[in-house]
Amino acid sequence: MPEITYREAIHDAMVEEMRRDENVFLIGEDIGTYGGAFGVSAGMLAEFGPERIRETPISELAIVGAAAGAAMVGMKPIAELMFMDFILLALEPLMNQAAKARYMFGGKATVPMVVRMPGGSGTGAAAQHSQSLESILMHIPGIKVVAPSTAYDAKGLLLSAIRDPNPICFVEHKLLYKVKGEVPVGEYTIPLGVADIKHPGDDITVVTSGIMVQKSLAVAQKLNQEGISVEVLDLRTLRPMDSQAIINSVKKTGRLLVVHEAVQTGGWAGEVMAVVSSSEAFDYLDAPMRRLAGKDVPIPYNRFLEAAAVPQEADIEAEIRAIVSNKY
Amino acid sequence: MPTPFIMPKMDMDQEVVTIIAWLKNEGDQIEKGEPVIEVETDKITSEIEAPESGILANILYHENEEAPVTKVVAYILKEGESPDSIPELEKKVEPTPSKSEETSTEDVTVKPISHATPLAEKVSKDLGVQLKQVSPSGSKVTRKDVEAFAEKLKDQVIPRVSVPATPAARSLAEERGLDLESLSGSGPRGRIQAADVPMQAPSQPEQVLAETVQAAVTTSIPLVGKRKRIAERMTASYQSTPHIYLTVEVDMTASESARKRINLLAEKEGQSAISVTAFLAKMVAWALGRHPYLNASLQDEKIFLSEDANIGIATAVADGLIVPVIHGANKLTLREINMNLQYLTKQARAGVLTANEVSGGTFTISNLGMYGITSFTAIINPPQSAILAVGGLVRKPVVVDENDTIAVRPMMNLTLGADHRVVDGAVAAAFLADLVRALESPELVLY
Amino acid sequence: MTTWKKEEFDNFETTDVLEKSSELGINQEKLIDMYRTMVKIRIFEEMADKQYALGKVHGTMHLSAGQEAVAVGAGFAINKGDYLLNHHRGHGHFIASGADVNKMMAEFLGKDTGYCHGRGGSMHIADVTANNLGANGIVGGGLQLAVGVGLAVQMKKTDQIVLTIFGDGAANEGIFHESLNMAAIWNLPILYLCENNQYGMSANVVRVSAKTPFKDRAAAYGIPGYYIDGNDVLAVYEFIRKAADNARSGKGPVFVEAQTYRYFGHSKSDRNLYRTKEEIDYWKSVEDPIIRFEKLLLNANLIDIQSINMIKEEMSKVIDESVTFAENSPEPDVKDVTEWVYA
Repeated sequence: MPEITYREAIHDAMVEEMRRDENVFLIGEDIGTYGGAFGVSAGMLAEFGPERIRETPISELAIVGAAAGAAMVGMKPIAELMFMDFILLALEPLMNQAAKARYMFGGKATVPMVVRMPGGSGTGAAAQHSQSLESILMHIPGIKVVAPSTAYDAKGLLLSAIRDPNPICFVEHKLLYKVKGEVPVGEYTIPLGVADIKHPGDDITVVTSGIMVQKSLAVAQKLNQEGISVEVLDLRTLRPMDSQAIINSVKKTGRLLVVHEAVQTGGWAGEVMAVVSSSEAFDYLDAPMRRLAGKDVPIPYNRFLEAAAVPQEADIEAEIRAIVSNKY
Repeated sequence: MPTPFIMPKMDMDQEVVTIIAWLKNEGDQIEKGEPVIEVETDKITSEIEAPESGILANILYHENEEAPVTKVVAYILKEGESPDSIPELEKKVEPTPSKSEETSTEDVTVKPISHATPLAEKVSKDLGVQLKQVSPSGSKVTRKDVEAFAEKLKDQVIPRVSVPATPAARSLAEERGLDLESLSGSGPRGRIQAADVPMQAPSQPEQVLAETVQAAVTTSIPLVGKRKRIAERMTASYQSTPHIYLTVEVDMTASESARKRINLLAEKEGQSAISVTAFLAKMVAWALGRHPYLNASLQDEKIFLSEDANIGIATAVADGLIVPVIHGANKLTLREINMNLQYLTKQARAGVLTANEVSGGTFTISNLGMYGITSFTAIINPPQSAILAVGGLVRKPVVVDENDTIAVRPMMNLTLGADHRVVDGAVAAAFLADLVRALESPELVLY
Repeated sequence: MTTWKKEEFDNFETTDVLEKSSELGINQEKLIDMYRTMVKIRIFEEMADKQYALGKVHGTMHLSAGQEAVAVGAGFAINKGDYLLNHHRGHGHFIASGADVNKMMAEFLGKDTGYCHGRGGSMHIADVTANNLGANGIVGGGLQLAVGVGLAVQMKKTDQIVLTIFGDGAANEGIFHESLNMAAIWNLPILYLCENNQYGMSANVVRVSAKTPFKDRAAAYGIPGYYIDGNDVLAVYEFIRKAADNARSGKGPVFVEAQTYRYFGHSKSDRNLYRTKEEIDYWKSVEDPIIRFEKLLLNANLIDIQSINMIKEEMSKVIDESVTFAENSPEPDVKDVTEWVYA
């Protein structure tokens, strides 16, 4: 299988689906000649033209609002936000319009749209360009939240997202764009709402997503050599959450660590723990459930401060060691 | 005129109720608002309260009979009133025993006489109250009694679950029929972990036997509980710790003779005999004082040298292995070590060691001599840096002096396993040499 | 507070209905139908108010009595199949665009037979299958969706247009500017109908807007803008028709601001503390859109008092029947409460 980057996987998914379905179009800032802030749409203007690679003014509210409107009348827009942080300018159309149209109109509307947004820290972009806001997005019924961790997942999940009849927030991590992975040529989909065991293990379950999957995998491989067997469960879709996969894994290992970059307070780790403690998996717990999340601070600029603000491999390793040895 | 006791209408389309019980008898004093009748409609069961205070009289509908709503079901006599003042028409007609009742006398009452009304029974179930504990305010326990009792219960401080245990440990203990309070926890703050829940109840040896027999015929035994924990720890240690092993043979003549003499004294004083293991522990504690790297632990890239020699004694128990720890063995006399060891062994066999009694070890002694083993190697109990494997005493001919004199002596093999990251071969050898010296000349230590 | 001047209107007041209707190509039947629909809206709104007073309405509502000319003028000027995006005071526009008052009343009473099966209520009545994309509870909510609908129409190359109706309040939302700008740069077939009823809840439009009329703001985006008498049903029809033709022929968006007035308070909790009784009375007697249209029709002998009374009786019956329909309709099944969150 050829190795391509996460960025290329997303690009390929869009290009392939736009070739297949003329109702799919891309709308966003600087997505044409410039190729998008992170180069994801590079070359697409030449193939699809300015009508389907719809470059907009800097009007995030109207971008997401227009995507919602177009989706309600049969189009399948992909809106690209330059940074996830900017979704805060467009929560109105996302949460009040797109998420609710179907329900408040009695099941008669469908809003098949995808909002792609690069999130996460690690690029020195500081407080307003580095956030992980997925927990906020997950709080709204009617929206699905997808966060791929590998190139393979990115392509398969994006194809599913574009074809899904619901509004979807597709959270990409900036640091993952350059990460390569094996991706088959051509069409394949990964169902939304299905988690994936990225590394099987028996001693502890690490539930995570996005960039933290990569970090957790590195730790799992290291600890494996010492006989500490870590199961890394990549949720892939944060909402709807694959509760059964979480429950099954915790029943097997008896220990749970949730790792996410989003800040801790109100973060989705709490949701994962609630899933466990209100299921039969609770009776299998042999240690308190723990979480490792972004610190409750805006993302700082300085590289050391920035790294300290979100979980790193060493943090994950230490936390796992503590839990499996009952030293917490 | 006497007050009519009217059956109230409780529902829009309701016509009758079934009387389940009269909570008061004719002639009883009843107070306004007090429950007097328990009735049942097709929807609910409820209590009908007295509309007035007075003496209950002239009950017109009896238990298990249907009574029309909005109609009189009894009367309440106020002071000075007599049943005679009840309107003639409404006076009750004593029911003549019917045929069915006659035949029913044959199969004597099967139903036990309940001291509570059916409603009270139902409510007690709903509220989770034990009916036996409720004392009736009248002839029978009523709903009000149950509710009042439940209310009182609420006010009581419900004691916190006294034994800290993980959910897994709780469910395992329940599954295995074990009382958590009889277990000791190895988790933080003494929390009982799944691994602390033994396969069988230690207090029920018959069951242990039965289950062991059963285990022998099954083809697979799930790796759970203590067994799993041992497996995990030993695997981790074996895989992550580079072990080195050094073996020496010790002439135990002097030690054995010293131990015998001490035990004669002990017997006179009514004390327990000093065991080989206790004797060894004393000698090891002394040697550890001279070789701190053997009394160390490697954690988080740091070597911690311990002042105290906390010597763990590997002890076989029904479902595996446990290592109780003699804390500060370097500061204890031989007799104290022996007493400690006896107590810990007893606790271990009963499965009631506390977290403190199994934690904090800095060195471990594993003695398999009583099983006829002469020499073996052991796996270090992390994060400790060494373990001493002790074989049995074997009387055999050895060369005892430089003239090649051969004599039969009680010999014992000691194999030291050490973590090479902490202990080099020479250091380990020096420790063993000192230990041999102590065992061959115990006066060095016991003096 | 003076909030408007007739001399600023871009239309001439309709004085001769015969002349105007022939100019616009409206026959007598259609004129009477417009009148009938205005009456229908008025009676619906009054009945809605009554249902509320009787305690049959669970939530609140925003009534459009007094604004019927805007609803009917616009509703009759666009084509079937054109898209409609509405504001929260939306009953009139839906009735004017042919909605079933039974389903509307049922929705209003929260019944399963309502347009939204009782999920939306007064503020979210929609009929997506009829290209009615709903009233919107968010002020300016339709303005952003309209851009997307306009894009879809443009990309699918149909001859539909998008009518988005919003109030004077929405003109001060940020999205107003984002929406107009995008529609202008992409030449989208969107008709912006600003229904200026002079109050955003209690805020008088002049007090909260730096510059009125709002058509001047359209000029900032190069969009043709008109300020018209919104209580003159034929004026509304005329300008919306022209604007629709303009948009349909690929000339891009048009902005029409219709001056009108609402009779009821903002919602049921409004005690009208911010305006005078005299002001309300003036609009109800002198400017009432139904009375004005009635006079024109009577003067032109297109209708007589008898017919007027008949129409009113007929419409009352229709609305009464809608209440009966709604009352006899089942409540939604609570076990379905989580239906329709996702497609």
